This record gives sequence, C-alpha cells and structure tokens, in this order.
Amino acid sequence: MSAIEAIQLGKAYRKQGIGPPTLFGALSRTLRGRRNEEFWALRDVSFAVEKGRTVGVVGPNGSGKSSLLGLVSGTITPTRGAARTEGRVSSLLELGAGFHPDLSGRENVFLNAALLGIPREDVRRRYDHIVAFAGLAEFMDMPVKHYSSGMYVRLGFAVATELNPDVLLVDEVLAVGDIAFQLKCLDRIRDFQRRGKTLLLVSHALQTVEEFCHEAFLLYRGELVARGDPPDVILKYMTSFMGEGGYLYRQEFGTRDVEFTQVALRGPDGAESASFQTGRALRVDIGYRAKARIENPVFGFSIKTGNGLYVFGSNTQIAKHPVPFIEGEGVMRLTLDPLTLKGGNFFLSLSIHSADHATQYHRREDWYPFVVKDPTEAPGLFELHSSWRLGAV
Amino acid sequence: MSLFGDILAHRELLQNLVARDIKSRYKGSALGFLWSVLNPLFMAVIYIFFLRLLAGRGVPSEDVIIGVFAWQFTAQCVTGGMNCITGNANLVKKVFFPRVLLPLSVVAANLVNFLLTLAVQLVLVALLLGARGAHLSAWSAALPAIIAYHVLFNLSLALLVAAANVYFRDTQHLVGLLMSAWFFVSPVMYNLSFVEKFAGPALTPAYLLNPAALIITAYRAAQVPGALLPWSGAALVAWLWPAALLVLAWRLFQRAQRDFADWL
Repeated sequence: MSAIEAIQLGKAYRKQGIGPPTLFGALSRTLRGRRNEEFWALRDVSFAVEKGRTVGVVGPNGSGKSSLLGLVSGTITPTRGAARTEGRVSSLLELGAGFHPDLSGRENVFLNAALLGIPREDVRRRYDHIVAFAGLAEFMDMPVKHYSSGMYVRLGFAVATELNPDVLLVDEVLAVGDIAFQLKCLDRIRDFQRRGKTLLLVSHALQTVEEFCHEAFLLYRGELVARGDPPDVILKYMTSFMGEGGYLYRQEFGTRDVEFTQVALRGPDGAESASFQTGRALRVDIGYRAKARIENPVFGFSIKTGNGLYVFGSNTQIAKHPVPFIEGEGVMRLTLDPLTLKGGNFFLSLSIHSADHATQYHRREDWYPFVVKDPTEAPGLFELHSSWRLGAV
Repeated sequence: MSLFGDILAHRELLQNLVARDIKSRYKGSALGFLWSVLNPLFMAVIYIFFLRLLAGRGVPSEDVIIGVFAWQFTAQCVTGGMNCITGNANLVKKVFFPRVLLPLSVVAANLVNFLLTLAVQLVLVALLLGARGAHLSAWSAALPAIIAYHVLFNLSLALLVAAANVYFRDTQHLVGLLMSAWFFVSPVMYNLSFVEKFAGPALTPAYLLNPAALIITAYRAAQVPGALLPWSGAALVAWLWPAALLVLAWRLFQRAQRDFADWL
C-alpha cells in the first residue's frame, strides 16, 4: 500500500487571479468575454510513494514544489487528477501557521494540535514532551506574540512532529532555529524514518535531500522530469536547470590568453561521465588553446560540495609538476586515483594562471558538477586512510 | 459531508477555535466582557433619546433594548464571518481542515457572547417591565427556539459573506453599506406597531419577510407581554424561507472553499 499517491495531478491558476480580486475586475472580464489565461503550476504528475520511504522534491523556484505539497496535504484542490494519502498527515509547511498571537503557548499547542486533527487526550499525554522538545518550559503561559521567531518555530515544529503522524510533509523548514535546534530537527526526522514513517520533503539544500532521501523527484515547470536515486536526480538538476533557481553561482573570467576548450570528466574506463565511484579513478582531460607562447603556466583545480564547502584544491605548482611553457592547443590530464570523496554532489573548478598568480588566464568556478557514489553508503565526506593496531600499553 | 456531520467530527477543533475567538476578544481590555453589554446598552440609550427627540413619540425602552441586543448578534456574525477566511489566510493555505469550521466558530463564539449579554438584557427588561408593574412574558420559555433560529440565520449570512469576501474584497465595503441600510429597515430602534402606522395592516406581514424583522419581533413577543407576533400566510413564508437560504449558503460555501487557497 503506498502512503502517498498522485494520479495525473494537475493544478492550474488563472493568470488574472494574481493580485487582489475585485468585483469590478470580474464583471469587466465577464462583459468583455475574455477567458482567463491559465498557468499550470503542476501538470500531469503521477507517482506513488511506498510507506516508510523518504522522498525529496527538488527543482528551481516556481517549478511547482510547494503546489505539490499543498495538493498532497489537501489545502489546495487539484484542477485535474487526484492526490491520496494513507494515515494521518502532518505538514511542516509553515510552522506555527495556526498560532494565535494573543493566546499563550499552552493554549496554542492545543489549538494547533486540534487543527492537525489530533485528539485532545493525545495532546494532554504528550504535552510535556512537546514543551521539553521545544525547550520552552518557562514560556508556556506567555502569549506567543512575545515569542522570538525562533521560539515560535520551535513550538510549531514540536507540535507537528510530536504527534506521531504517518505522513510528514516538510517544506524548507529544517533550517530553522539555532544550530542545536536544527540538529534536533534532523534527529527527529531520522527518528521518523526509523519508525517507518513516510516523508515528502521539499528543499533547496540539495545536501539534505541527498543525505535523507531514498528517492528524489525533479520538478521543472510543473512537470516531473526525473525521479530516482537522489545523487543522479540532483546531478540532472544541476546540469540541466542550473542557474534558473539561482542555486548555483558559477562564473568564468580571465584574460583568455589561454582558453579552456574541451573539458571531459572520465571514469576509469575512459568514458565521459558525471557519475563516479569512491575508490576508483576520476580523470579530467583539460583541453586548452594558447593564443601565444605562455611561459610557466599553472593549471589548478578545486572541488566544492553542493553546499559550497571547499573540499580540496591543488595546482601544478603545489604538486611540483612544473609546466615550462605551452603553445597552441593541447590537453592537460588531471587524475584523482583513487577518488577518496564519499557519496554526494560536488563541483569542480578549473583555472590556468601565471606562476606568480598575478594573471588569471582563464578560470571557471563551480563549472563542472559531478556526483560521487559510495558503494558502502557509509556517511561522511572523505575517505581517510585509517588503520588500526591493538598493542600493549 | 453534511453540516452536522462536520460539526460532530471536528467538535474538538470547533471548541478550540471558539475558545480562541472568545479569549482573544477580551484579552488586553480592562473591561473585557463588559464591553459586550455596554456597547448595545449605550446604543439603545442613544436611540431611545433621539427617537423621542425626533419622532416625538416613544418606542418602549425595552423594545429598543431587545432590538439592539439581537441586532448586535447578527451584525457581529456578519463582520466576523467576513474576515474568518481572509483573516486566517495563513491557516487556510497551510493546514487542511474543513473550512466551514471557521464561519461556524465565528457564529458559535458570538452565540456564547450573545447568551451572556442576553442574560443581562433579560434582567434589564424585567426591571423596566417591573417599573410599570408588569412581568416578563411566559413566552420567554420559547427563547431557546428563537435563538436557535437566529443562530441558523446568522450562520447562513456568515457563510455567504465569508466565501464572497475571498473572491471579491469589495464585499467588506459593500456589506458595510448594506448592513447600515438593513439596520434602518429592520425594527431595531423602533417596533412593529411603528411600522404598521406607515405600512398599514396589509403590508406588515410582508415586512416580516425581512428575517431580521421577524427575529427581533419574535424576541419582543417572547419577552414583553402584549407584544404580538402576527401569524398569517405571509408570516409562515417569512419563517420558512431562511431555511432555503441556509441550504443555499452551505452549498455555495462548500463549492467556493475548494479554491480558497488559490485566492488568498
């Protein structure tokens, strides 16, 4: 039995519907006989999520992610098709959406729980847990309008998750509160997974999707364009729709006295690819064209994670592989063997500059996305060479 | 799902929403509930005074008091109903629950408020009658039935304006206008015998087709001895047609609520 099912789900909005509706506007449109133009926020989306799975939805802004969650949660009525869920659904779409500013934290817990369809008895039983999780014990009798935004969100998260939903819908809310609370949130999400709950989560934090999800959906302009293994889907997202969501800040600059031509990322078999395996080779063939003879150029590269964390960088200078000069066209080959990165999405940057770093000939930042798959699926960013030995004190 | 099915299935949420409404209404005000009594009372005093001054003839004070308290209930349901969806846009867009609970809770919260003010009003009317050597009519026993009818009528209005205001924000201005007009054509600060003078006995039953006129007159007939509620074929129609209004309002609301999230 699938926990979430969408059958040819579609949602259209009228373009004129944007902006405050007025009686006059409606009348004049009717009189002029103009049909409202439609905009499909979501079109013909079908999928089933098995119970106990976590699915991440990615895509650029305006691709229909939030509409999808709204349709699944039932707040939005589909124009076509249907969305069906099994069991109690709780959504972390907007934490504390039902809070009333004048009521105390305690009163709001009960109100919010009632909105989520939770019997009062259950709330009473779990009340202390909720308060403890939110860490707001001494503030429960205070009107929530005096809460800080962090406190507000913490209480909302505590209510929505403490009450044991079967299906949890999450929209970009894991990045709330301070670091300590964020970690608590992620812990709670993992706990849900362990207990076999179904999660549908929307996030621009691709690393989160990669880390938590069994499967990822890629939405683009309202259509489900890819689904599958999170790293593959994320890679497709990055290579196909990069830039549109403002997700990636890739840039290119330099004097262009030397230019990159063909750049190819290759696996151990020599075939061009964007997907590599931990422990095996990654080769980069960097084609270049020099307009004139360049003395002592330096080739460099760096690798960042999908979150922009700088992982590693090196160049021919550091590696003590001096290049006396280049002229005309040629290929520089960079080899990472064995690849010690663990599973995830990464970006490769390349550069050619002068020996004193004063002149950048050509630089491509965050230009080449690639995915690394770790067959062991052990967590972490790096494979560190480690060994063990048991000995006497 | 039927109206009563919805209420039953979500009575806890309804209780919570009503409690929220009532608590937030009086929080932060020094006089709290007293305002709910003082407000109509001051209005009644003003009407009594000016009517004497302008029309030269009085309407019994107890009639005006009964009229103003009953009118306040309807007026508050309409105002509250108008904002119950638009004012909770965040909730409607983000959380799924039967939307009809919002107008329902507005009417229920106002009902609680009305019952409390009604208790004060009954004491006042009894005192005014006592000053003339009269007593509250035995028909007061029928008040619960009148209140029930009044509640259902208010609910239909709340449903209609709640849905309309989502689609057309003009509603709030338009309704403000209509409410003042309705106030003057309804016997709030005057009574039915006042109307009879102008309309004549033939047209008075037709005047009762205005449900507000019917309800207020019924409240008076139940409390003031000698105040009558005319019975005729037209009066029967007057009693029955608001039932059709409720069914219509309910249907319209259920139809409209599907797209609320799109319009907010």
